[in-house]
Amino acid sequence: MDVAADVFSYAYQYFDNIGFLILSASGLIIIFGMMGVINMAHGELMMIGAYITAFSYHAGVPAPLAIIFAGIGAGLAGMVLERLVIRHFYKQLLSSLVVTWGLSLMISQGFLLIFGPTILNVPTPFGNFPVAEQTFGIYRLVLFGGALAIVAGVWAVFTFTKFGTHARATMEDPDMADALGVNTRNIYVLTFGIGAAMGGVAGGMFALTATISPFFGINYTPLAFITVVVGGGANVITGLLSSVMALASVQTAVNNLVNVYVGYIAMMGAAFFILLLLPRGISEYLERRKIRTERKVSRSAPA
Amino acid sequence: MRQHSVLDRYLGPLNGPHTMGRGVAFWVGFVVVVAVLASFPEYMRRYDIINLSNFLISGFLALSLSLIWGYCGVLSLGQAAFHGIGGYAYGIVALNLFNAHGNTDIAFFAGIVVPVVFAAIIGGVMFFARLRGVYIAILMLVVSLLIGTFMRQTADPSYTIGAAYLGGMNGLRPASVDDPLLPSLIFGLGETVIELDGRRPAFFYFVLGLLVAVYLGLRCLVNSSYGYWLVGCREDPNRTETFGYDVRLIQLGVFCIAAAIAGLSGVLYTAWGTYIHPDGFGVAPNILVVIWVAVGGRKDLGAAIAGAIVLEWVSLRLAAEGEIAFLVLGAILVGVMLIAPNGLGITIGDYIRRGHDRAIAWVRAR
Repeated sequence: MDVAADVFSYAYQYFDNIGFLILSASGLIIIFGMMGVINMAHGELMMIGAYITAFSYHAGVPAPLAIIFAGIGAGLAGMVLERLVIRHFYKQLLSSLVVTWGLSLMISQGFLLIFGPTILNVPTPFGNFPVAEQTFGIYRLVLFGGALAIVAGVWAVFTFTKFGTHARATMEDPDMADALGVNTRNIYVLTFGIGAAMGGVAGGMFALTATISPFFGINYTPLAFITVVVGGGANVITGLLSSVMALASVQTAVNNLVNVYVGYIAMMGAAFFILLLLPRGISEYLERRKIRTERKVSRSAPA
Repeated sequence: MRQHSVLDRYLGPLNGPHTMGRGVAFWVGFVVVVAVLASFPEYMRRYDIINLSNFLISGFLALSLSLIWGYCGVLSLGQAAFHGIGGYAYGIVALNLFNAHGNTDIAFFAGIVVPVVFAAIIGGVMFFARLRGVYIAILMLVVSLLIGTFMRQTADPSYTIGAAYLGGMNGLRPASVDDPLLPSLIFGLGETVIELDGRRPAFFYFVLGLLVAVYLGLRCLVNSSYGYWLVGCREDPNRTETFGYDVRLIQLGVFCIAAAIAGLSGVLYTAWGTYIHPDGFGVAPNILVVIWVAVGGRKDLGAAIAGAIVLEWVSLRLAAEGEIAFLVLGAILVGVMLIAPNGLGITIGDYIRRGHDRAIAWVRAR
């Protein structure tokens, strides 16, 4: 019975880590894949979401609605940033990195000045359930479910809607899409807004478990970045899922064997190792392999 | 044109296309600026001189980032890590050897060599794996944050290295009451002992002299053929490689040189305040270096130093106004990136150059 409990504990932590990484990275990967901009202020957009959630919750708004408010607020903030600053830095990776880092500094310091170093936390809902003398929080499973729902939602939007088709066309070839009548300017603003809103929702969901402070963001930005880079930009969904699964398995194993600090380092090491083997990320490799097998199949088929 | 040939004869290696300012006017101005700085201890308050020493120390860090980012195109968001490593290396060696040697000669060099070794290892892996620029930038930030996290949890008394106790959040300190305190720079050359206390003008003169020397040395470097390799790697790595240069080795080399300069700034900083602390590995010091260099002008060594000194002065003034310093610095960074993407120093320099050329053309036309 101890073994079963351990297995359950491992699985629980694994899914917890997966949910954490998906939530941190999902908004960032869209912005990176779409505009070739690394948004160092993504963690601060999450922080804005967390603040909106906390304030709405304490004003009497139910938590799910508060998280939706967080998404709307962060999305609007993201669209403003895009119009004012970020649009000048498309496809300039290093400059975009520096300028968004400056934005992140401004946002976090601004929040520090306005709201002070800490605000009232939001209690974690749903309570716990016991498995063989250990207790597990139910909310963590909700986070995991929420992460999957976000990925599914993004996939649906980018696959089935007209906006999604236009967005993918813009991603492929902005000039051609523009020539064919797609308003690429609006597409950029909206995509950035969606990415920011996803960050806001993620921040809102984390607000229910983490301490909220102006420097909330820095806990998430590097991890989100590593996840995005390991996933690669060739296919947003497969990249995100494969990268998250790989990194979370390393993290879970080392967390249990040694400690959280070494687990973090091991995850960075694993990310580095994957990049050595697949410099453009996992999804690029998967796409290439898919094309190769398709070719083989078509060649071996009788004429 | 006679004047120019004299200039070329003595300043030839210092002048070239990769640094701003090569005429008589620039060098006269340079000498005047250095002379004015050197005269400060004569009439300024001691408190201001101590602060100014610190600003000059920041100048080294700005030089190191300008060299790798501005000249070689390798951005590191974790340049302060080398500063911290150099500072800790200096402190640990100084605490251990001070009683036996009575000077900090070996510690001074350890503070430069240890960051270089660290840079050689981590840079070797990164460059030979051909990681793309953004990954290197973020990876260096992560490395710096991880070192900081590790150093912060070293409050446990078991974290001692000889006479040095890492001390966690309290910073580096002696392991026991019998061990010496963290010393300022004390050079011993045979019988003579030169003591440079961070609070005295002698330390200021030393830092100023060293900064001028490193600046001039780097000017020679970036205007030599090595400088052309660096700029080649920045502008088009593939073409540089096609011409037969090993881009990875060039990048690794310059990464190590930059680490040495950042380590030197760490040594001077630790000796200046006889204090080194894990916060030096955090986000704030790393972003500050990027702000100085981006605002001053990454593609010119002098502009980067000017950016560091001016912005350090600005943050000191703002610190008196409450906690708005970082907000203002972030706004300055974003504003400058939008208005003058190459940095204010370089934009102003270009204006001066154009005005100067026009004035000369006007004089010739008369």
